[in-house]
Amino acid sequence: MKIRIDKLTKQYGDFRAVDELSLEVNDGELVGLLGPSGCGKSTTLFMLSGLTEPSSGKIYFGDRDVTEIPPEDREIGLVFQNYALYPHMTVLDNIMFPLINRRIPKEEARKRAEEMAEIVHLEGLLNRKPKALSGGQQQRVAIARALVKKPQVLLLDEPLSNLDAKLRISTREEIRRIQQEVRITTIFVTHDQEEAMSISDRIAVMDRGRLQQYERPQDMYLNPVNEFVANFLGMPQINMFEGELRDEGIFLADKLLRRREDMSEGHDLRNGRYRMGIRPENFEIDPEGLKERALHVRMTGRDLLVFFNIGDTELRLLAHSDHNFKKGDEFSISVRPGQIMIFDGDGRTMAKV
Amino acid sequence: MKKLFGHYRLRDFKGYLYLMPALIILLVFTAYPLFKAFLMSFQEDYSIINGSYDGINLENYRELFEDDDFLKALTNTSIYVVFVVPISIVLSLMVAVLINNCGKRSKGIFQTLYFLPYVTSVIAIGIVWSWIFNSNYGLLNYFLSFFGIDPIPWLNEPDYALPALIIFSIWKSMAFNILIFLSGLSMISQDIYQAARIDSTPRLRVFFRITVPQLKPIIVYAFMMGFINAFKVYNEVFSLFQGKAGPADSAITVVYYIYDKFYNSADYGVASSAAVVLFIIIMVLTMIQRYVTRDKEA
Amino acid sequence: MRSKKPSAVIASVLKYTFLCLGAFFTLLPFLWMISSALKTPAEIIKMPPVMVPEVPQFENFSTAWSAAPFGRYFINTIIITVLTTVCVVITSILSAFAFSKLKLPGKNIVFALFMATLMIPGEMLIITNFITITKLHWIDTYKAMIVPWVSSVFYTYLLAQFFMQVPDSLYLAAKVDKCSDFKFMTRIMVPMNKSAITTIGILNIIGCWNSFLWPLLVTNKQEMRVLSTGLIRFQTEAGTSYELIMAASCILVVPIIIVFLFLRKYVLEGVSFSGVKG
Repeated sequence: MKIRIDKLTKQYGDFRAVDELSLEVNDGELVGLLGPSGCGKSTTLFMLSGLTEPSSGKIYFGDRDVTEIPPEDREIGLVFQNYALYPHMTVLDNIMFPLINRRIPKEEARKRAEEMAEIVHLEGLLNRKPKALSGGQQQRVAIARALVKKPQVLLLDEPLSNLDAKLRISTREEIRRIQQEVRITTIFVTHDQEEAMSISDRIAVMDRGRLQQYERPQDMYLNPVNEFVANFLGMPQINMFEGELRDEGIFLADKLLRRREDMSEGHDLRNGRYRMGIRPENFEIDPEGLKERALHVRMTGRDLLVFFNIGDTELRLLAHSDHNFKKGDEFSISVRPGQIMIFDGDGRTMAKV
Repeated sequence: MKKLFGHYRLRDFKGYLYLMPALIILLVFTAYPLFKAFLMSFQEDYSIINGSYDGINLENYRELFEDDDFLKALTNTSIYVVFVVPISIVLSLMVAVLINNCGKRSKGIFQTLYFLPYVTSVIAIGIVWSWIFNSNYGLLNYFLSFFGIDPIPWLNEPDYALPALIIFSIWKSMAFNILIFLSGLSMISQDIYQAARIDSTPRLRVFFRITVPQLKPIIVYAFMMGFINAFKVYNEVFSLFQGKAGPADSAITVVYYIYDKFYNSADYGVASSAAVVLFIIIMVLTMIQRYVTRDKEA
Repeated sequence: MRSKKPSAVIASVLKYTFLCLGAFFTLLPFLWMISSALKTPAEIIKMPPVMVPEVPQFENFSTAWSAAPFGRYFINTIIITVLTTVCVVITSILSAFAFSKLKLPGKNIVFALFMATLMIPGEMLIITNFITITKLHWIDTYKAMIVPWVSSVFYTYLLAQFFMQVPDSLYLAAKVDKCSDFKFMTRIMVPMNKSAITTIGILNIIGCWNSFLWPLLVTNKQEMRVLSTGLIRFQTEAGTSYELIMAASCILVVPIIIVFLFLRKYVLEGVSFSGVKG
C-alpha cells in the first residue's frame, strides 16, 4: 500500500507540532521517521494511525483519502513504544484479540494467530503472560498482534527504545526480517540515527515539525541538505566550525585546509566566513598535511577517536585502531577530497569541497 | 461528521452515557437534598404534606440557636472532640509505631486484630459496650473495683453518660487511625532510619524528629477526620442508650438532634437549619485540612 | 548471628507486652460478647463476673434467633447488601472508566463537582431523602434501602485512580484493534483491576451490612427490618436477658468478621487508601 501525506499539519494552540509535512512512501517500503524529541515525528505517526486528528492536510492510503477515517477502519497495525500488551491475557489471547474484535470465528482466529506467532518466532511461548517474557519477546508479541489482522500499513513508535543495547541490534534485524517477509509498508519512529540508517529503505529527518530531508540512508549521510541533518546523522558527530574562504583556499584559524585549486566545486563562492563541517572519518594521515598534536585519545574498539585543536576549535578525527596514537603524539593530516561541507547563513549545504 | 458545541462532536458526548447512572443518583440523592436542605432551613413551618410554609426568614436558625438541646449537642461535641481525638491519635500512633517494628508475621496479626472494631457494626458492639457499662453487672465497674472505686452508674447518670460515650468512641476510632498510620509508616523510606541508626540517634529522638514529621500529613488527616466524625456521631449514642440520647439528653449529638427534630417532632425547618450548620462546620474543617496538608507538601 | 544487647531484649519484651495488652482491650468487647452469649441467666448477673461459662449455652443462639424474626432480618440484610454492592460496583466501574479513559467535554469540571460531594455529610441529606422516599411511597420497600446507595463518589474516585494507572496506549491499541469502548472496559479494564474492584465491593459490603440510620428511617414494618435495626428493637424487647441480647449481637457481628478475615488484604488496602490519598 502506497502512502501519500500532503501538507499535514498539527497545531496545538500556538505551537505547530507538525508543519506542512508532505511525504510519499512506496508499497512495501520501510521508512524511518527520524528526529530529536519534540520534532513532531510521533505526532506524525499518530496522525497516520488516526489516533490524533490533523489540523489540516490530507493522508492517502493508496488512492483512498483516510484523513477522516477512524483508526479502527484504517487497516493499520500499530506497535506502541511500551508495546501496550494486555497484561492479564496470554500471548495467544493478545495476538487473537484484534481478530476476535473483528468477529472472526475463534478457531480461525487461533489458527491465524499461531501462524503469525511462527513468523515472529514466538511459537512455544503462546501460553505465557506478557510479564514472563523478555523485552524483545514482548516486542515481537506486539508486532504479531499488529500484523495478525493483515493490515495494509504497519506503524511502529520507537520500537527499540525500551530494549537494552544488545537486544536492540538483534531486534531491529528481526523487525527488518519480518517486514521483508510480510512485504508490508512500514513506518517507524526513532530518535536514534544509527537505528534509522541500519534498517530503513528511506529516512525522513524532521526538525521542529518540518521535514528536513527524505532520502536513502547512504545518500543522506553523504549529502545532507543542511547543517541540521549533517549534525544529526553520524556518530561520532561531525566537526562543525567557522571557517574562512580566502583567495588561496579554505582556512581554519589561519591554517590552510584546502587550496582553492583543489576544491572540487563551489568555485563561485565569495570569500568570507562560513559554517563548515568535516566528518571525523574524513581526515587522513598525510605527511604533507597539517602538523597537529593529539590532546587526548579515546579508544572506541574498532577505531580511535583523536582529539586535537586547530586554533581554538576542538576537532575529532577517527583513525583505525592499529594507528597506535597516544596522547601528545604529533601527526600530520589532511581532509579527504570533497569532504569539507560549506553551509550558508541559513544552514543549507552550498558545496562539498 | 457534524460539529456541535464549537469543536466537539456528538460522538464525543458518548462518554456521558457511562456517567449517567452515577449522575442521576447523585442529582436526586445528593445535589437536590443539599439544595433542598438549604431552602427548607429558611422556610418557616415547612409542611411535608403539601410543601407549604409560612415565610422565608431566619426563624429556624433563631429557634435552633435558642434551643438548649442543640447548644448541648454542640457543647457535647466539643467535649467529645477534646477527649476522643487526641487520646485516640496518641494511643494509635504508639501502637502503630510498635506494630511497624514487629516481624512480618506478627505485624499482620496485630494489624488485623486492631482493625476489627472498624468492620464491626457500631450498633451491635455498642450494645455489648452498654452491657460492659452496666452499673451492677458490668465488666468495667468490676475492673474498677480492684482500685477501690465504687460502682459508677455510667449510663444512668447525666454526668457519666458522655464519659461512657467517649471511652467507647476511643476504642472504636483507634482502628482506623492505626491503619492509616501504619500505611503512612510503611511509606517512610528505610534509608532514613538506617542513616539515623548510623548516626546513633536515640529511639525517642528518631520518633519525634523523623517519624512524626514524616507522618505529619496523615496525622493532620487523622485529626480532621476525627473532628468531622465527632460531628456525625449518632449510632454510638443510639446503641449505648437504647435509642435515647442518654439520661436527660445528656449525650445528645448534632446528628441525633437532626434526626430527633425531623423524625420525632416533624420540625423540618429546624432540622434543616441544624443540617446546614453541620454542613458548614464540616466544610470549614475539610478546607482547613486541605490547606494544612497542601502547605506541608509544598 | 549477632547476640542481641540486653537492652534490646527488654525493649522487645516491653513492646510485645504493650501490644498484647492493647490487643486484649481491643478484643475484650468481642470476647465478652461471646462469653456472655454462652452464659446461663444466673451466670450473667453473677458478681464477680464469670469469665468463661461453666457449660456453654449454645441454645441461647437458637432461642435468640426465634425470639425475634432474625431469619427474616438476616435475609433482608443479605438481599440489600448484595443488590446494593452489585449496583455500586457497576456504576463505579462505569464512571471511573469514563473519567479515566474516555474523552468527555468538560470532564475536569464534572470530576471536580463529583469530588466536591465528598465533603457533604450524608447525615445532612437524610431529611430531604426521607421526604423523597415518602413521596415515592417507597417506605418499607427494598428500593428505599438500595436505590439511594447505588452510586458512590468515593469508590468511583478510588477505582479511577487505579484505572488511570493503566497506560493510555493500551486503550489506543485496543481502538486500533477495533475494540469498542464498552468492550475495552469489560475485557481489559475490569480484568486488569480485579483486586481494586474486589476492594470496593468488600468495603461496600461492610458498609451496607452495618448501616443503621437509613434503614431505621425508611422502615416501619417488622418484616422489612434489617439486622441492625432488628437488633436494636430486640434489645428493648429482651429487657435484661443479656445472654440473648449478646447472642443476637453475634448474629450481626460474626458474619462480617469472617468476611473481613478472608478478604482482609483488600479491606486494609482500601481503607488505608483514603488516608494516604485523602
